[in-house]
Amino acid sequence: MKEAIFAEGSERIAGTARADAVADATAALIRERSAAGDLVSEAGIALFLKEHLSSPGTSMAGDCVTAVLARLLLENEDLHALRGADSQWYYSSRSMTGEYAEILLHAQEGPVRLIAETVRHNASVYRRPVPLDIFAEPPFNLAYRQVLDCLATMAEIEGYDDIGTTITSSSATYLYSTSHLEKEYAVMLAEWFDVGESENP
Amino acid sequence: MSGYGGWAGRVLRVDLSTGGIRTEDTIERYKEYLGGTGIGYKVMWDEVPAGVKPFDPENRIVFAVGPLAGTGAPCNGRTAITTLWPTCWPLPLVASGHMGGHFAAKLKYAGYDAVIIQGKADHPVWLMIEDRKVEIRDARGIWGQGTRAATCAISEIMGMDAVVAAIGQAGENLVPMSIVLSGASHSAGGIGSVMGSKNLKAIGVHGSGSVRIAGNKHEWERLIKYHLSLLGANNQHVVPNSPQPWAEFYDPNSRWNASRGRRWGGAAHPVDTGACDPHDLNRIAYRSNNAAHFLGDDVWKYTVRGNGCASCPVRCHTILKVPAVASKYDIPAVGQKTCVGLKFGANFFKTIPGGPKGATGLEANMVGLHLADDLGVWCNYGQLQRDFIKLYYDGVIEKKLGAREYKSYSWSKYEKGDPSFLFELLPRIAGKQGELGTALGLGTGHLLERWNLSEATWRKDKKLGYWKLGHPKHHASDEVGQCGLLVNLIYNRDAVCHSHSNFTRNGLPLPIQKRLAAEIWGAPEAVDGIGDFKPMHRSKALMAKWSLLRKELHDSLSLCNWMGPWAASPLRERGYSGDDSMESMLYSLATGDRKNREQLDAVAERIFLLHRALTVRGMGTKEMRTRHDTIPEWVYTDTSGKPPFTKGAVHMDRKDVEVALDMFYHELGWDRATGAPTRATYRKFGLTDVSDALAKGKLVPE
Repeated sequence: MKEAIFAEGSERIAGTARADAVADATAALIRERSAAGDLVSEAGIALFLKEHLSSPGTSMAGDCVTAVLARLLLENEDLHALRGADSQWYYSSRSMTGEYAEILLHAQEGPVRLIAETVRHNASVYRRPVPLDIFAEPPFNLAYRQVLDCLATMAEIEGYDDIGTTITSSSATYLYSTSHLEKEYAVMLAEWFDVGESENP
Repeated sequence: MSGYGGWAGRVLRVDLSTGGIRTEDTIERYKEYLGGTGIGYKVMWDEVPAGVKPFDPENRIVFAVGPLAGTGAPCNGRTAITTLWPTCWPLPLVASGHMGGHFAAKLKYAGYDAVIIQGKADHPVWLMIEDRKVEIRDARGIWGQGTRAATCAISEIMGMDAVVAAIGQAGENLVPMSIVLSGASHSAGGIGSVMGSKNLKAIGVHGSGSVRIAGNKHEWERLIKYHLSLLGANNQHVVPNSPQPWAEFYDPNSRWNASRGRRWGGAAHPVDTGACDPHDLNRIAYRSNNAAHFLGDDVWKYTVRGNGCASCPVRCHTILKVPAVASKYDIPAVGQKTCVGLKFGANFFKTIPGGPKGATGLEANMVGLHLADDLGVWCNYGQLQRDFIKLYYDGVIEKKLGAREYKSYSWSKYEKGDPSFLFELLPRIAGKQGELGTALGLGTGHLLERWNLSEATWRKDKKLGYWKLGHPKHHASDEVGQCGLLVNLIYNRDAVCHSHSNFTRNGLPLPIQKRLAAEIWGAPEAVDGIGDFKPMHRSKALMAKWSLLRKELHDSLSLCNWMGPWAASPLRERGYSGDDSMESMLYSLATGDRKNREQLDAVAERIFLLHRALTVRGMGTKEMRTRHDTIPEWVYTDTSGKPPFTKGAVHMDRKDVEVALDMFYHELGWDRATGAPTRATYRKFGLTDVSDALAKGKLVPE
């Protein structure tokens, strides 16, 4: 099966050795970018191959890149793909977890979706609201104003009715998703995480 | 000498009344109590009868360490100090304080497992321990000085390699709310005044020896590496506080706050803490910045590095350099502390410009930590500050002070959150000056009694954080449900137990915590989500028992109960399991006395049982359930108006608590009706003599 898939792409690449070099270089690229904390898109890989590995007389058509990546996923347990809205993204689990990769994927989809999916993930997996200030830090890297703008946007468009906010007695804003947390419970938890834990160090 | 490793083999006994100094064989007298609190309780049981008061010369103060102190075992820097507790109200009972730093290791290197102090010197003295050379030295030249000056003076005599544990003016003036301070920031609260009552200013210790490891060297090294691999950050938080590429989970409240871009900005050459993959054992020290955790992210730029105890890679005492405070308040720009001590200053203020994590809050905390540590004032886990705010804003302070004294304080400064107010307040507490200084220095229970205020009021108000006996809650029912409640019942001060909360706050999602809980305590029901508590279950009683026994084990071995137990780990490949056999593996290899987890836990239970016996004897009643193990009213109330065991409510159900007590006493072999240990239980743990002595006073259930 592996060979059949690769054969399709390798017809456009001269020789098995050459194909192995392409595969190795692509795997190395994904691993390198993961180690640096980044995903790699399919388009990015195509560009990389074009710039660094194409030789005169060979073409790097899209289906060739797809075939190379398919082979890589089958042959390397650490390499994984994530389906984004417009592209496929790749990472290596040698230095990046799937959870972190998901955050990076949502970041590619824009700050509104990044915030909403992060809030939903926290509510679903950890049963907790999240402080707004976590979005200022990597890998989110959103300015405070930007987060507020996103919340305003969520209030105006469909698909984000579940995202709620609460302000603790220490004036910290927390976000939660009613898809996974009841409002009253989320309010109580926000107060505990912001004030209660601090008073019980 | 015995053939055991680990122990130094000698206990030093110093009688300050007679000047007598002698040594005793550790193994012969104390091996069955390990060390630390075990030795402390044993000494108190054997030598300090009921009725003795904390400041009586007959009281003992026992500085004791364990067989792992001074070895390469991670987090072994704890010294347990056991005595009659002066802030315990309405009558003093036995308790222990715990001091980190390097005192424990130095004491072992000098050749001692403990120092038992008894009697009272006829003038101020300090104790010099240099290997076999032990002298009672004149301290009149340093009496009246703060801990910093005293430490410097003794270090000039003993050399910079010596470790000094000193009291400040608070301890000298017999202020119950006082500490002993070791090194720059390692304090043990509550016992400074007991040293003061003996005219003992300080203990300086220097040792040139070592600790022998009985087991195979390579096996020991492998075990240390294994232990290090299971370490998390401060409080054994095992996930980072922000998403990291290596991490499956994160928790914004985790004390594992290293990350690329977060830098120790106050260092001569700023250091990036980095991603801190848990497999990189050389970067454990970068994981936690407790100052940033407690005081806010702005503190990163003032952070010099982490500091800490002997053989501990976690370095939870963050060193801060805040240049502005030096000229503004005439205090050192550099200071260090951990946990609640970091917030000593700002915690006094109900309001402070910019909030407690703002610039003024940081200034207040720098002022607070320097003043408190130098004067030797104790905060009793923040109870001092909570009491002060309550008493001031309720108008009690104004009523209780004479007009002249009241006007001598700059209350407008206080209300504005001006840190310089602390210069008016803290020295007067340490100096027992005026009614306010004197009353605040007594501790909550004695203060309430002095001012004819009802303790019941404190026991109703959850925000005051008060539990009983003059002391606050410490990771109680509002946080860890029935297990937290049970842990808070037993001691004669705040529980100072972190075994349970280190687990529930470790940052792992609840389903994983439940899986680990099932492995350790037999059922996933042992742990609940915060504010989503479920009715009592036997596994919760087992978790409470385990938590308390681990605490006693740590306090007796010199391991740190702030860092352990290591029930969970940051390792995904282990399913985040830790290893709660760590203590017994370390103990067995270090000492050569092979004990598995269950066998060493049985020793911990003996120690814990002796503490209970001391409480029974001290109170003169076996009715522990109704007279000692009392529960503040706030535990049963909740502002949500919801019934217990509904989501969002943190209060307990009265009937369920009775079930919890029944189960807990049963697991410990204590009588359910009275909460006192039974004769059979004393016998089971080799304490028949204790049982016999208590039986004479009808203090053992029939």
